[in-house]
This record gives sequence, structure tokens and C-alpha cells, in this order.
Amino acid sequence: MNRIDLSDRVLLRLVAAAVLVLTVYFALLPALPQAFRLPGSAPLHIAGVIGSSLLLVSVAFVAAKRSGRGGPPPAWFVAHAVCAVAGFALVAAHSAGRLRHAPALLLLALVALAALGVWARVRLSRRLAATFATRRALLDPPAPQARGSLAALIAEKEALLRRLDPGAREATFSPTLGHWLRAPALAYRYARLARAEAGVIGTRQAAGLALGYWRAVHIALAWLFVAGLVVHIVTVTFFAGYVAGGGEVYWWHLAAW
Amino acid sequence: MSRLALMIDLERCTGCKSCEAACKQEHRLGPGEFRTRVVWLGREDEAGLDFLTLTCQHCERPACLRACPVNPKAISKDPATGVVRVHEDRCTGCGECVIACPYGAMGFDSHGHHAVKCDLCADRRAEGGIPACAAACPGYAISFGEREALLDRARVEGRRPRETDPFLLGPATVYLERLRPAPTSADGRAPARPPAVVNPPDAQAALSRAAPAFPFRSPREEATPDRTVPGGCTLCFNCCTVKFHFRGDRLVQVTGNEDDPVLKGKVCPKSQMTLQMYHSRERLTRPLKRIGERGEGRFAPVSWEQALEEIAERLVAVRERFGPEALALFVGTRTGIIAKQGYARLFAQLWGTPNIEGTDPFCSSGKAIAYRLVQGSVGSGNSYTEADLGGARLYLYIGDNQAETRPVFFGLINDWRLRHGARMIAVDPRLTVTASKADRWLPIRPGTDMALALAAAYHILDKGLNDARFCVDWVLGWERWRDFIFAKGYTPEWAEPITGIPAGEIRTLAEEIARAGGCVLFASRGVNQHTNSVQTNRALMFLAAITGNWGRRGGAFVNMTASPPLAANAPPGRRAKIARPRVRKSPTGWIEAMRTGRPYPIRAMISCNNPLAQWPGLAAAREAFRALDLVVHIELFANETSAFADYVLPAAAGIEAGDIGRSADDRRIVWIDRMTDPPGEARPDAWIWVELAKRLGFSDVLKEDYKDPARFWDEVMIDNEQFRGITQRRLHAVPYRWVRFPAASEDAPEIETLYLEGNTAPGQPAGKRFPTPSGKLEFWTDAQEADFAALGLSALPEFYGEREGLLDLPFVVREEGDERLSLLSPFEKVPTGAARARVVPPAEDAPAARLRAQGFDSELVTGRPPAPHFHSWTHYFWQAQEMWPDLYCQIHPERAAALGVKDGERVRIETAHGAIEARAWIHAGIRPTAVFVPIGWGERQPFHPWRSVNFLTDPSQRDPISDQTNLKSLLCRVRKA
Repeated sequence: MNRIDLSDRVLLRLVAAAVLVLTVYFALLPALPQAFRLPGSAPLHIAGVIGSSLLLVSVAFVAAKRSGRGGPPPAWFVAHAVCAVAGFALVAAHSAGRLRHAPALLLLALVALAALGVWARVRLSRRLAATFATRRALLDPPAPQARGSLAALIAEKEALLRRLDPGAREATFSPTLGHWLRAPALAYRYARLARAEAGVIGTRQAAGLALGYWRAVHIALAWLFVAGLVVHIVTVTFFAGYVAGGGEVYWWHLAAW
Repeated sequence: MSRLALMIDLERCTGCKSCEAACKQEHRLGPGEFRTRVVWLGREDEAGLDFLTLTCQHCERPACLRACPVNPKAISKDPATGVVRVHEDRCTGCGECVIACPYGAMGFDSHGHHAVKCDLCADRRAEGGIPACAAACPGYAISFGEREALLDRARVEGRRPRETDPFLLGPATVYLERLRPAPTSADGRAPARPPAVVNPPDAQAALSRAAPAFPFRSPREEATPDRTVPGGCTLCFNCCTVKFHFRGDRLVQVTGNEDDPVLKGKVCPKSQMTLQMYHSRERLTRPLKRIGERGEGRFAPVSWEQALEEIAERLVAVRERFGPEALALFVGTRTGIIAKQGYARLFAQLWGTPNIEGTDPFCSSGKAIAYRLVQGSVGSGNSYTEADLGGARLYLYIGDNQAETRPVFFGLINDWRLRHGARMIAVDPRLTVTASKADRWLPIRPGTDMALALAAAYHILDKGLNDARFCVDWVLGWERWRDFIFAKGYTPEWAEPITGIPAGEIRTLAEEIARAGGCVLFASRGVNQHTNSVQTNRALMFLAAITGNWGRRGGAFVNMTASPPLAANAPPGRRAKIARPRVRKSPTGWIEAMRTGRPYPIRAMISCNNPLAQWPGLAAAREAFRALDLVVHIELFANETSAFADYVLPAAAGIEAGDIGRSADDRRIVWIDRMTDPPGEARPDAWIWVELAKRLGFSDVLKEDYKDPARFWDEVMIDNEQFRGITQRRLHAVPYRWVRFPAASEDAPEIETLYLEGNTAPGQPAGKRFPTPSGKLEFWTDAQEADFAALGLSALPEFYGEREGLLDLPFVVREEGDERLSLLSPFEKVPTGAARARVVPPAEDAPAARLRAQGFDSELVTGRPPAPHFHSWTHYFWQAQEMWPDLYCQIHPERAAALGVKDGERVRIETAHGAIEARAWIHAGIRPTAVFVPIGWGERQPFHPWRSVNFLTDPSQRDPISDQTNLKSLLCRVRKA
């Protein structure tokens, strides 16, 4: 099996290197030329653009993973992790240490994303492995009432699936990116039913907060970051005057509203 | 093709975890990675043990597959076979599948960050094989095939599949309910739960500090074998035949040998985990010389030349000053049977020391003497074949936890029990795995099995239920014994308060044995490891004999065999004159000689085992080792004894050395070729003895050529009537590499069952059915009485218990300490010191009463841990440590509640002889007044070190007849640590 993987050691070294570089950078910041102390200066602007672009590799990872295009998903995962760390470093540099302004929230989201991702990969994965043979389904099956609700949900899913993807079997189906793009409403309804079924089975709750929900939080934070990034780009590009707050608009922009 | 599936029989599963070992080996999974795992389950409100082999259910609607966010999915389901598998090259390691599986059957490789799961061994199936777990399972609990066919088979056998589909996922894996299903919450009862000491997740931390050695976590292509050599496992007394699989010169797998007509490829976890021994990074690889204080464990590497020259020089100095008897050899079975009974024995004869012994006096010396007295030879004459032991109607286990100590044999017995509708009864202070399968568990007070045997015999004889014809024709002295037990009044009512078993139960048991029409009475360490070892064994043998369960198929007394009767001998003219007798048979009887020089000094020790974790009374043993002039330790791993050694010599094992397997219950001699080199500069024990012999002038007998164990075997080891026919040629003529002894010539047929009526015992004059002087089983003879009388005892087994107990019972005292040498044992073949003894009636100032007054309120039982462990070896195997990492103390829920101890918490166990700590395992399947602590752990082990239980045991409580130490009944107190 040829599978690309980012080992814990490499990941931790990568993160440590990024933190070290940033620490040195911020320590030396007062001594650096002014261009490195202004987030909108040409070099830092470029750093921000490149950093954001690298962070958006994660979006490409999601697209590749869910669309079946673009190569092996583990390779995309590695790209996502490496680019995210590099992007984080560049975006942090782009901030020039100005943590009292609104865009610092983006940096905060990035810190949370990175910390959560690294923690999940390095620590939580061991807890995940340790869940093997700890569930109760075979040892002490739940009350039979659950079967009724599950049967109803499965029937509903089957009916919906005939419209969403007539060739598919409910037993092995979950919506792909294609379904979401072609029939978002049906895909959404199907996903809700699947979530309801999982809720009845209850494995996510049983796994505990960290294992059960870290990924949801990671994804939510990522979308928050992407949304914030869009807002930031739009405001600094088109509402430069508002951003400058009466001061000098020294960065590249298209409009100074 | 219909759906493929596993069918797991919960009545046959013994929780041995062989399937786990097979799975990890097949798929080279490292610590923390699972495709299958065995869950142990117990209850605090009811004695019971259940096991559940948890693996993928290969669902019709796989929740894992649907949860996978990758497109195309990283998990697929084969439409033809229904097998669900992970495509690791597509898996991003998000873990959604693991979260989604309600069975907890989706594994995760936290090292490689991807899901792992059972695919019913796709690679093996592609080559026409079956899943590794099913191939290995010693209990015949895992079957593989088309699901419908498996269900049909279950229906035919009248077995009920467990309902396992509460979530409408359509699982394919079939679980057959136990014959008596365990309660669940549906019954309004709290469900069974895994004990905290089994599979604890925190155990992984110690294992993940270093990557596991090859081939675990290696790619398949690096571990695919290109040749296979049959051989055997040298670890335990099941003596499994195995196949060693190599890629080039590198060992890549150890599996069962399906060509074996008896074991049929079934194998226990230990045999498979020897792969981890052969590749272990913990192995000793260079000779070491001590540079620190004794016990400190500081050494410098030296060359073999220097080590051997210096050892020889120091040995000679000891001999010149104190005489040859001042050298003691402790040669345990780790060293291998050929080294123990061949090379080391010859060395002792050439050197001139009688002080050579193995672990026998800690394990089974009592039963060996009892067998010799009753049958004239040691060991059962029966075999694990369907026609012989398989034909029994009742299996009675007394102090024998066969399911955990010889799991493959127990798998056969349990399978025959179920297929033939036989019954099984277990007599044990604990509900062991063996007892968990029995129809009835009789929780006997430790050390009182003799009372049970006597009372059962009383009832049988009183009611005339004995096999009168067999008694008259084939038992000498049975009437005398009958009259004795009648006169003593050993009735079931007498035995009830002693054993804790109601008189009615004893009567029922006695009648079941007498009327079974074939009863196999198994006994082992639970009977042996007492100061009444010989007499209890004899009483049980008498019980088997009077009911006709001797010298027949499907009826026997089987006490786990120790060493086969192999013994190399130097030419008489070359044996050094031994002026003084062996101090004692038990090595713990040497402690005074080592410490104080009385009765004569022992100043040097060559140890091929781990006495400083193993000898009873470790505090005294360590003090004695400190006092020696020279300690040489030949070992595989650095352990507690190494720390006290002057020289540590790295040894080889099994296929690195060439050997036979340990003795088996059924007389199989399993040959193991030397197949590979040991690691680094490690050398086989044979090589070490021959090299040492060279430096001491013994090389005319311990010849250079004898470094080849095969040559040594043919030329030296089998030079006797029982083994002459078991040559290398004959052993290599069969693909399973074993031959049963006796075989007087190469063409002599093997004998499945010895001592059948109408036959002559091998090597005996015509008509002698048994190899005793009379040709009959002997209960009592004048000669025996004289031998017992020399020790102050009677040949008629008078009941006595242990010195330390909660009940005041008669106990035995030896009237002289080990510093005196005034009497030679009449029961030993070589002159051996012994002491007169007397049975003391209970009294208010008895030692037990004094201890009870000091708060020692529980009876400590020690013994073997579950199947994956065997003494200290397996504590160096990471997987055995993953399964059973911590020393534990089984304690009854009532006692635990009184002490405020919760399951898994640390407790301190204290006897009058020492104290240790362990983790509590609250287990309703133990007598409320007893606690159990297993052997094998040591404080210098690499993963989960704990002080050995032998800090709690007493070297002075020994059977005066066999020198066997009491390890099964000591007063103790338990406190929360």
C-alpha cells in the first residue's frame, strides 16, 4: 500500500518550526524596517495573500475528497496540513502583531483551528483507537423500541433516495459533493435523516464531546475563517477608507469607500 | 456466493486472545491497533466470566461506510461476499467511521492515521486460506464460512444465535449464545462489565514509547514468507506444534501447524507472540560483567573469551576452597529441556555437585512422587485424542485451570464436552476460565483438596460405588486405605467445614465420578503447590483408581506433566565423586547453605532462569544471592536475577538454539530445529556449557560436536528404553515433528493409551500392566510405609492442611531446618537431605491463630495469570503487556466494599513474609475470604514493572515428602494503597 502520511513527529516539528519562526519574527519586529510593521505594506500584503491562498488549499482538500477528483485524499490531507501551517505563519506575519484590531479574530480562529487539528491528529487519534471493542451494542443491546424509529427513518431515506439518486442503495449511500451541487435540498434532507438515524444509534454522543464533535468544531471554525477572510478582503479592498478610519490608506485597494 | 462470515461460539471461547495475536501477526498491527479484540466480562453481583471476541460485523448496511466522507468511499462492501473493507490508500484518518460503528469494531491506526478493520483476511482468502483468527483459535470458537451454512450448522447443533442487530444494520457475524445466556439490562440486571485490569487503555503509554520490532508495522511485502519450517513452541506445557515462516533468513510469522493430527493448527497466543521474543530489542546481546554493587544492575560488556575464562577461574577457586558441592546449578525450563536434562546435568556430573535443580519443587515435585508411588512412572498414560480423553463423560478439574495454562488442550476438551454432551465440574477457590465453562463450580477452601478427595472416596466406598473388579484385580492395598479412611471418619460431613463445600455436594460429586462411565480427573498446581502435595495427589489418584478411571480410554487422572524422563549421563568413570548429598531438593532449601554455610557452604550459582523473581520468599533469596562469591546468569532478557549476577551471559531460545518442546500432558516429544541465529553475540545454552566445559577439562564428554543439539539428542539424550526410537530421523519423518514416548525403537508404534487392560507396561516383564513393583496400582505397601515412616509419616494419607489458614486445621511441621543434614530423603533418586516431620493438631496458639490476631484475615492464592502470559518471558512481549499489563489482585466484591476498594485501584497485599502492591480486580468468582495474585511480574520488567508475588510467599513451608513449597494458601491482609 502506497499511502502518503504526515507522521506525528513531522507535524509537530512543522508546527514547532512555524512557532519558532514567528517568535523570532515578532521578537525582531521593532528592529525591522517599517514595511514589516504595517500589515498593508507591500511585503506583508503579499504575505497575507500567499498565506490565505495556502490556507485555502484546505478548501481544495475538502473538494477533492468529496468529489473524487484530484488524486488520493491522503495526499490532499498532507497538503492541507502543511499548507495550513505555512499559511498560518504567513498570515500571522501579515498581522504584524496588531492583535487589537478586528482582523485579529481571523488569527484567533486560525490558532484555534491549528491547535484543534494538531491535538486531534496527535492525541485524539490514540483515544479514537482505544474505542475499539468498548461499545455496548453486543454486550448489552439497547431496548427494542429503537428499532421502530430506525425502520421508519430507513424507509424515509429509501423514498428520498429514489429521487436523489435512483441508482443508489440506501445501505451504502451518503451524499457526495455532486449530490449537494445537483440537488442541494434533497441532499440536505437526506443528510438530516442520516443524522437522525445516527442520533438514534447514539454512537457520537457515546464517544464523548472531544471525539464526537472535534471535527464538527474544526469544520465550523474553518468556515468561519473563510467567511471572515472574505469579509476582510472585501473591506480592505473596497472599503479601504472605512478600514483606515480617517488615516492613510497605504495598502493596495480598489476603492476607498 | 452468499455472505461470508465468522461464527463465534461464546460457549467455546475461553478469552485466551489467540485470535488477537493471530490478527496482529497476520496484519502486522502495532500497539493500540486492532481488527479484533477479546473482551472479558464479569459481574460484581454474581460469579461468572464471559468473553466476547469483538470484530467487524460486515453489516448489510455498514454505518462505517456511510459515515465515510471520502468520494469514492475509503470503505467498500463486496457485493458478492458482503465483506466490508477499508482502502487505506484513500483514508484520510478523519475517524468518522470509528465514531459511527455501534459495535466498536472499527479500528484505527493512530500511528499511521487511518482506519483499520477486519476484512476476513482478504490476502489469506485469496490464497485459499481462512482468516487467521479462525485458523488459530484453540477453543474451536471461531468458524469461518458462508453465513447460511454456519447458521445451518448452529441449528443442527441446537445452538441459538445471539440477537445482535438492534440498529437494523444487518450484521453478518454470528454469535452463538452460551448454553446459559448471561443476564443483560433487558432482564432488569446490570450488565456484565470488563474488569479494569483487562485491556486498560492507559497500558498503551508504556508500549508506544518505542516502535514495535519487525515485522509489526512493516509492509506486507517485507513480511511475506517464502519458506516454512515445522517445529514447536518452547514456552509452556501445552507444547504446541507450530510453523515458523521465514522470508530469507528472517522470521516473519509463527503460526499453528495444521498438519498436526492432534492440535490441528490450533495454537495459543504465547506461541505466536514468540515472534516478539525472537525480534525483541530487549534481548541480551553481549556478555556482561558486573561493575556495580550486587543488585544495582551496573555492567560492562566483555568478550565471551574473557567472561568464560574468568568464570572458569572463579569456579575453580570456589571448588578448591569449599569443594565441588559449593557450586549450585538452578536450571529452570527457560533454558530448554535438552540443556536442563542434558548439558547442565552432564556438567554437574563432571564437576561433582549434587546441587542441581530446576523449578520442579515449586511446581510439581509432589505429583511426581505420588505418580511414582501409585503408578510406578510419572505422568498420565492417556492422550488428547477423541478416542481417549475425548471419550470421557465427565471432566473434573481440581486445582487445574487448564483453560489458561494449556489453552489448546482445554479447547479440545471443551469441544468434546459440547459435541458429546459430557459434563464438566471445576473445584477451585476461584471461578477461573476453566470453571466458567463448567456445569458446576465448587469453590473449595485453598489447601483442602485432600479432604474433598478423602470424603468423596469415603462416600463411594461406603455406598459400594467403587469399581470392585478393578480394585480387586489392579489395586494393591486399597482395602487397607478404605479401612483407614473409615476409621478416621473422613465423611462428607467431616469435610464440609474444612473444604467449605456442603456434604450433599460432595456426595453428589462422588456419585457423578463413580457413575460417569468415564471420568477424567485433572489436577495441577492448585493441588501440587501445598505442603500436602504428595498426599493430596495420592488421595486424588486413589479416587480415580477406585472408580476404575485408570488405564482406560476416557478415564484418567491427569496431573500436568513436568519434564519428560530424559536424562543424559556421563560415563561412570568420568563422573566426579560427590562426597556430600544434595542439601535439599528445593532450591529454597539451599538458602541457609548460601547465607550461613550450613550444612555446608554453597558459594557459587549458575542460574539459567529468574530465581530472584521466582523463588518463594524473595527477601531471603536475595540476601542469599548477595552472599555468594560467584553468580553467573544465563538469560534472554535482563531481569531481577541479572541485577545480582557477576556475569550475565546472553542466551538463545527455541529456534535459535534447537530443542524439544517442554513436556506435554500426553507424552509428545516435539522437536525444534535450530533455524536462525540468536541476536548479537547471544549463544545457545548448549554452546555455553560446552565452552565452559572446555575450560574445565570436560570436553571429552561435553564435546565440541555436541554444540549441535540434533547430534547431542541422537548420541546422548535418547540412550534409554523409553526414547531410543525417537531419533532425529523419526522426528523429521513427520510434518508435525513429534513422536509420543515411549518408543524403544525407530519402528516401534506409538501408544495412544498406556496401561490398558491386557497390555504390558513398556519395558516391563510380560503381564505387568503397570510399572510398579507389583504390576498393580499401589495404594499401600510395606516398603512405602517404611519410606514414609523414615520421615515420621504414614503412607496412608492422613489429612492435614496448611500452617496459615482462616480455619485451624492440622498442619505439618518439619522438625529440622535446612541447616541440618541428618536424614536422606527415601523418595529421591539421588542422595538428598530431608527432615523428619509430624502432623500437628490444631491449637489455639497455632501460627495461623497468631497471624489472624494481627489482622491477616484473607487467604492468599497465587497462580498463573491468563493464557497470554507465562512466567516472566511474556512480560517482554509488548502484545502480552497490551493484553494484561498490570499485576492484579482478584478480590471478592464484599471484601472490596468493606475495604473501600474500587475495581482497578491499587491495593497493598501483605503477608507475614512481605508486601507488594497490585491493582484490584473485583471478581465475584472468588471465595469471599480469598484473594488471588498471579505470578510472573517483576520490578525490572520493561513495560509494566511490579514487585513479584514471591515477596509474599514463604520458603520454609514445604512438603516434607517432596520439598514442594506451599504457594496456594498464605494468610494475608489487603488494604487500599
